[in-house]
Amino acid sequence: MSAGAEGAEGVGVALVSHFATVEQQRHAAVLGMWAWLLTELLLFAGLFLTALVLRLLHPEAVQEAARHLKFWIGALNTVVLITSSLTMSGAIQLSRLGWQRGMVRFMLATAALGTLFLAFKGYEYWADYHEHMMPFLGGRPYALESAPASRLFVNLYYVATSLHGLHLTTGIGILLAMTWQASRPGFLARHQNRIEIFGLYWHFIDLIWILAFPILYVVNR
Amino acid sequence: MNPTDLALQLWPPSASATAAETDWLILAFTVLTLLLTVPVFVAITWFAIRYRQGAPANRDQSESRSVLIEISWMLIPFLLTLIFFVWGARLFFISKAAPADALVIEAIGRQWMWKFQHPTGQSEINDLHLPIGQPVKIRMTSQDVIHALYLPVLRMQMATLPDRYTELWFKADRSGTFRLYCSEYCGTDHSKMDGNLTLMSQADYAAWLQNGQALQGGLAGAGRAVYESYACGTCHDPGAVVRAPSLAGLYGREVRLADGRTVPADEAYLREKILNPNRLKLAADYKQVMPAFRNVIPADDLDRLVAYLKSAGAQAQQEAVP
Amino acid sequence: MTSGTATGTEGLALRDPHTPDPTLDRPADYLHAEHTLRSWFLTTDHKRIALLYLASITAFFVIGAVTAGLVRLALVVPDGQVFTNDTYNKLFTIHGVVMVWFFLIPSIPATFGNFLIPLMIGARDLAFPKLNLASWYVFMTGALFTLVSVVLGGVDTGWTFYTPLSTAFSNTWVVPALIGVTIVGFSSILTGLNFVVTIHTMRAPGMTWFRLPIFVWTHYATSLIFLLATPVITVALILLIMERAFHIGVFDPAYGGDPVLFQHLFWFYSHPAVYIMVLPGMGVISEIVPAFAQKKLFGYKFVAYAAIGLASVTFFVWGHHMFVNGQSDLASVAFSVLSFAVAVPSAVKVYNWTATIHKGSLKLDTPMLYAMGYIGLFVLGGLTGLYLATLAINQHVHATYFVVAHFHYIMVGGTVLAFLGGLHFWWPKFTGRMYIEAWGRISAFLIFIGFNVTFFPQFILGYLGMPRRYHIYPPEFQFLNILSSAGSTILAVGYIFPMVYLVYAIWFGRRAPANPWDARGLEWTVASPPPAHNFLSEPEVPEMPYDYPIQARETGRQHT
Repeated sequence: MSAGAEGAEGVGVALVSHFATVEQQRHAAVLGMWAWLLTELLLFAGLFLTALVLRLLHPEAVQEAARHLKFWIGALNTVVLITSSLTMSGAIQLSRLGWQRGMVRFMLATAALGTLFLAFKGYEYWADYHEHMMPFLGGRPYALESAPASRLFVNLYYVATSLHGLHLTTGIGILLAMTWQASRPGFLARHQNRIEIFGLYWHFIDLIWILAFPILYVVNR
Repeated sequence: MNPTDLALQLWPPSASATAAETDWLILAFTVLTLLLTVPVFVAITWFAIRYRQGAPANRDQSESRSVLIEISWMLIPFLLTLIFFVWGARLFFISKAAPADALVIEAIGRQWMWKFQHPTGQSEINDLHLPIGQPVKIRMTSQDVIHALYLPVLRMQMATLPDRYTELWFKADRSGTFRLYCSEYCGTDHSKMDGNLTLMSQADYAAWLQNGQALQGGLAGAGRAVYESYACGTCHDPGAVVRAPSLAGLYGREVRLADGRTVPADEAYLREKILNPNRLKLAADYKQVMPAFRNVIPADDLDRLVAYLKSAGAQAQQEAVP
Repeated sequence: MTSGTATGTEGLALRDPHTPDPTLDRPADYLHAEHTLRSWFLTTDHKRIALLYLASITAFFVIGAVTAGLVRLALVVPDGQVFTNDTYNKLFTIHGVVMVWFFLIPSIPATFGNFLIPLMIGARDLAFPKLNLASWYVFMTGALFTLVSVVLGGVDTGWTFYTPLSTAFSNTWVVPALIGVTIVGFSSILTGLNFVVTIHTMRAPGMTWFRLPIFVWTHYATSLIFLLATPVITVALILLIMERAFHIGVFDPAYGGDPVLFQHLFWFYSHPAVYIMVLPGMGVISEIVPAFAQKKLFGYKFVAYAAIGLASVTFFVWGHHMFVNGQSDLASVAFSVLSFAVAVPSAVKVYNWTATIHKGSLKLDTPMLYAMGYIGLFVLGGLTGLYLATLAINQHVHATYFVVAHFHYIMVGGTVLAFLGGLHFWWPKFTGRMYIEAWGRISAFLIFIGFNVTFFPQFILGYLGMPRRYHIYPPEFQFLNILSSAGSTILAVGYIFPMVYLVYAIWFGRRAPANPWDARGLEWTVASPPPAHNFLSEPEVPEMPYDYPIQARETGRQHT
């Protein structure tokens, strides 16, 4: 067991046997998460690129479809996620200081904000359903049948936002599991870097939404 | 010359100046690649013998300027091959710029047949007759999946896409019968989506346009392709999973209808049953499951299909299949 | 000139490679550390995971090879009498899907990379051992989906899954196959991530970047491709699954979607994927050739930089698969010249290996025979790739057997021969046993001859104009097709041999010393098979790689 770089009392990372030093272990964990996020970014980039290609191919139909997106819910959700990134940063700062109780509260707040995002998103889907804006449902009439190309954009919107929602749901699940672990004594002495690594992932989910919101909602208005 | 006459060929025939130049390009490129590789193969073999373990050989390592060596053996082959890039790109651009006076053929690919329409209105299935000594442009599209029209004798191919038109052009300079293929994999009968490209003198072409159908074995031959393309055999072939009345020997026979009448299966009857199968129900114990082909099959394809059903070929083929 | 000095604790074996090393006063090796089934299926030891991968990809290789054999059987006759067209189409699709996604892509990285990277850089394991095990399970899950689709009735879209054939027209089990391939992509991503992090953070003291063996360099480059290209195909396949299941329309022209967009996304991954297959093979050959010439690799730094360079440029050439698909002419020209820029530097690597042999002290053992076969076939494959990158030639031979022959020279001639060469080279390290050398040499010859008889005629067939994926073909092509099928039977025998004598060696082979080839590199300083934690004490690396007895004095900035 050895102290972490921040040096606060009772904060650090326990060495796993196949690493030579704690420093090496921390470095590996951070690099690993960055590599994963790079991959994820390219995954979403493929979707965003397709959205932009659609806009080039069918500008009118895409604008028509984008007008039906709930801009204000999207904007509100952007604020919610940015706030959750803030609380996550707070949790990381507190973990470095070794303030375990405060950190756990910030983590719970982060999970709550994430859930709030999903609730708003769910409401948005529900409203879309009632407005017949779900063209992928074969049996249900589609509101913009007159502009067939608009369904491409709307469907892509569902693929992109549901993939983002899947990431967020996974993130909330991991966050809650980690909060439970982190509420036990001694956690920060052994696994402080897990909070930091998870923070990277959470900020990434936020970043994807910050990219998706303008690409799907704003530029097509 | 019939393409099947060649038991073993090692170099394909060519029928245009561009095709001949493509051959020169690949031959010259092969010379360069041999110059670049044969020394390597010889050297490896020679070194393997000369410097094998225990063999007495001079293994003094002289100073080698490895940076210079590395850069030169990377750059020199690259620059040499760039000659062929330029040559290839030039030929490519020539094959993209069709002259304004080209004869325009419309081609449509569908699973699994080609349909070509001549500017004078005649159309043909799978086979294509074209004049030599005149630029020909083929404008093509697809009705379903992506296909590609491949004319090896002209060293050319181009994909047919379902949502847009593509084209290729050439000026053939040699008459004869050659192969044409679909080269983009398109499903079950991809390998049956081929035919013959017949290049002929302009006079012969004009004569063929006048009397075309006779030259290519009548409508019935093309009708067989239509029969397969619309997958009629899925139900009507003997042994098909869906049991439908056999079409063998149907033409000219008397058929009993459900309302008790007996009508001759003449041409009008065949057309009516294809376009609107729910009318004129048969007396025999068949479920009426055939879809209507009204507004589905174009008139000229229907002509071909009916001609095929009337022909002796249909009778024979239907009976030959066990 | 420096002579090779052994490093680490097991250096004794370096001096006399044929003395069986003492096995008594050592901790148990990784094979004998534990014996339960659980200790294999829940292991986090990179060496055991490598063997799990080896067993699974060998099984997939057999599936792929059997379907290839059936395809060659069908093509003995021109009129398609052996199978129905649908069966034939499913056979070549299964062959392609299994060979590309389940054999070639994981082949060298997931087995040799997994086993050797920690050993070569002096680490106790990969950075994330549990993730490593997880990636094997992800791989097997993906494989399960694909096998289910085969058992249910197969897929007939070709391994490229082109739209709209795959989305709207095929009546086969496309979705399970696609799900399988998508999942396998995640396995590649996790493996690549593990390698990148391991190579960055876990190198032993003294193991600087320019002391890494080329094998590690090429795997680093490959891992970057895994990380950067795989997510793009993942998203393309997700869209394809959605398209087929929910008709979202993105690739469907009926709604204004673009079927060619799928080809762009597909080849953006699948062209770099060629380098996923090729670069690790180059790494293997760059280890074998110096070992059997007993001479330092010529131009070490160039080869290392070239690996990274190739991995970068290969992202910008995907359009050369679409010269005749209605792509803009200017784009085609750009993709053509970039393809030249990537193909030539890869092909000239061969000069480096040739220069390494020059004035060496050559042993023509089995791994070296495979390496020499590799060089010959890879050169042919690389240069015919240049033919295909030439626009006017591509217009003629695109989608013909010329292409089939070309990529088999790259993938079989390149990857499979390197794989087999590496398997023979490191088999003593994996298992602690020697195989029978004579059998190894015979199989190397059989595979080389069988391969050429199978695939060289296909270059001619392609130039004559025989399209690929043709079950029924014009009779004038029959002779060359029979020749090709005959060659494939020789090739099959060549493949069966190693499966027999290598497995036989596990139980009955002579015990292998730590360093049977007198080779350099940290992996040869530990016992064969290595102890469970690789190194008994942390190794230090004081010198350059390829520290063989014969050292060419290279001027320029080679020794920094």
